[in-house]
Amino acid sequence: MELTDGDLIARVLVDDDQHAFGELVRRHQSSVRGLLRQLTRTDVALADDLAQDTFLRAYKNIRSFRGEARFSTWLYRIAYNCFREDARRRKELVGINEEQLQSERDPQVADPGLRHDLMHALSLLPLHERSAVLLCCQNGLSHEEASRVLDIPLGTVKTNVLRGREKLKRTLVAWKT
Amino acid sequence: MENLSNMKEIQQEDLLDRQLREVAPYIDDEGFTARVLRQLPPPRHARRSFRGAILLTITLLASVLAYLLSDGGRFLVVEATRLTTLPTLWLFVLALGSGILVMAGGVIAAISKTREVQS
Repeated sequence: MELTDGDLIARVLVDDDQHAFGELVRRHQSSVRGLLRQLTRTDVALADDLAQDTFLRAYKNIRSFRGEARFSTWLYRIAYNCFREDARRRKELVGINEEQLQSERDPQVADPGLRHDLMHALSLLPLHERSAVLLCCQNGLSHEEASRVLDIPLGTVKTNVLRGREKLKRTLVAWKT
Repeated sequence: MENLSNMKEIQQEDLLDRQLREVAPYIDDEGFTARVLRQLPPPRHARRSFRGAILLTITLLASVLAYLLSDGGRFLVVEATRLTTLPTLWLFVLALGSGILVMAGGVIAAISKTREVQS
């Protein structure tokens, strides 16, 4: 029988079982690294460094995980904080302008694959919309959970998701034609 | 008519969400977990056993010192002799008291551990 995240966390808490923590990392590494790759606009090396930092912080602060949210939601929050701190350090916390987005929507310059186009369109969304869309639409978090992860009001999350979706839909229309 | 348009919009949103989930590839571990585990601080029980070794060494040193300073531990012989002369009831009370003291220590440790896990 496979152990749940809760069982593994209990083992880490009681016995400081690093194998159990390793299993948690194995389970969640893909989604955390995926989220960070999208946030860093597919800078794989930076995203993986941030993902490592995320799991190290999670290990050190696992006692503060109270089980009120899913473990993955808690991890996303740490990952997003790591990303924000790093972005602040690098002074790269800027959105993309509409003009640039418009040029990327041109079907003539767009790559043929839907996957590539979607990923590209995602990377062009302003950070606040990108992070909301990634968490809610791609990682299946509720608006409330995303609001806790991003530390912004629920209404703002809903607006950001709506706007991000609209922009992505416009890109997909271009792809279909 | 409005309902139809709403339904179409919801379907489009569902399609977009599905496409977004599909384009997120599973990222192979490729040694990532091992790299994270290598950077973790040493497990608490390793730190605990180191602390235990220090405590044991200090206790042993203190015992040797006490033995030497008390004229070869003569006080131990004296006290042991006195114990044998004590009435049986006193011995029973002494054993019971010691047992209760050790049990109380165990209970307190268990309660604090339970609270730690629950929090």
